[in-house]
Amino acid sequence: MLDAHILKRRRDLTVDIRLTIENGHSLGLFGASGAGKSTILSCIAGIEQPDEGSIRFGEIQLFPPPLPLHLRPVGYLTQEPHLFPHLTVAGNIAFGLERQPTEKDNGWLADLRTSLQLNDVWGAPAARISGGQARRVALARMLARRPPLVLLDEPFAGLDRQLVREMIEGLLAWKNALGFTMIVVDHQAHVLERLSPHVAVIERGQLIQQGDWEQVRAAPATDSLRKLLAPL
Amino acid sequence: MTPRWISRCCVVLFACVLLYPLTGLFARVGPWRWDEAVANPTLSSIRVSLLWTGAAMLIVLLVGTPVALYVARAAPGERLWWQSILILSILLPPLALGILLSMAFGPAGWAGRWLDHAGVRLSNNAPAFVMTQVYVSIGYYVLGAIAAFRSISPMLEKQAALLGQPPWRVFWRVSFPLARLGLAVAFSVAWVRALGEFGAVVVTAYHPSGMPVQLWVNLQSFGLPAVMPLLLVFLVTALPLPWVAHLLAQRRPHA
Repeated sequence: MLDAHILKRRRDLTVDIRLTIENGHSLGLFGASGAGKSTILSCIAGIEQPDEGSIRFGEIQLFPPPLPLHLRPVGYLTQEPHLFPHLTVAGNIAFGLERQPTEKDNGWLADLRTSLQLNDVWGAPAARISGGQARRVALARMLARRPPLVLLDEPFAGLDRQLVREMIEGLLAWKNALGFTMIVVDHQAHVLERLSPHVAVIERGQLIQQGDWEQVRAAPATDSLRKLLAPL
Repeated sequence: MTPRWISRCCVVLFACVLLYPLTGLFARVGPWRWDEAVANPTLSSIRVSLLWTGAAMLIVLLVGTPVALYVARAAPGERLWWQSILILSILLPPLALGILLSMAFGPAGWAGRWLDHAGVRLSNNAPAFVMTQVYVSIGYYVLGAIAAFRSISPMLEKQAALLGQPPWRVFWRVSFPLARLGLAVAFSVAWVRALGEFGAVVVTAYHPSGMPVQLWVNLQSFGLPAVMPLLLVFLVTALPLPWVAHLLAQRRPHA
């Protein structure tokens, strides 16, 4: 179970939030841009440190004290793929695996390679692939280690619908197969809804509503949330 | 003639003027002198320069790289503070630096007295030579290395860590490969700076003489014919490393 209390003061916003997610479950963080959703993920991943609070995932205390990044059981995917430009696509995806991948690792890599349609670029330098391919490589690289906690920060922003659909289907299939806990941040309700039946709504750094999408849609807690959920 | 060709001709003219001093190698100075009186100290100076500058560069690399990595990842205010100190170290005129080193590490200085008690003297010997080379060059290396590390997105290193890589492996697998050409350029600048150092070394380590000091000695004692062979060796040893490093740096695809 992920149990987090995060207090992070920013110049224009204080994020103060408590989250609890059962193992293997998923949660969508929904809210307007600048509400503090990404800060929450960033604190759980360890990219930033909360000013106060505590974060625990199962038996592992992530904060305080801050657990070094390399010991965190976390996969973190952001809008920017942040691929290692000096490595090939294959080198990027296998980066987090042991130097001598096991047979099981190789089978898993082959599965990712096929499912994410990376056969054509497998040996290509990561710096020379398209933006859409880079996102798929970043997803494969994160999943290659089979992290028990997956954090997705608007991973589909700017991608075409077909690719988003494929990536969402892949993620859901792997979530079922691997059983990881997942938190997804997005400001597009329809994307989040596909990935997680549960949603936590963040407004100005505070959790204002939590529940199933149906409940939230039926009775939005604030006017701004109502507007955010309204169809275009 | 198009404006582009006119510009090109101007740059060619500029390059010719820039390289013109090298024609001095073909100046008529009479037959180059390479008798025993010139050859022995000259060969010794080449050995001293290459060996002890090499040792100094090893220290520069081992000390300067972690310092540069730390400064590159420090908060902007802190980084500015460290960079201002590094710039100060390279702004000192070489002769002034040599005098300051002699005072600080001589019997009059706190560190000098302490070293003297330990039986170490830093004057006119190989350790003094190495120390001076390190002082004159490390600022150049660290400043260049900071720029090289700062060209890498910190998120790449954080992603590598989140993929289970401990800090030393992040450095070895991500930071170093991505910064290596910038580091090579910084290293080559430091190498040239140290190998060509005259002003500071002539004060702290006249003996054992390195190539720049020996060039001066040859010029004073025997005139230009005794200088030319050493000048040629000096150019051949000092130039290739920074030249190749700069050419490679221009070609780097993912800066």
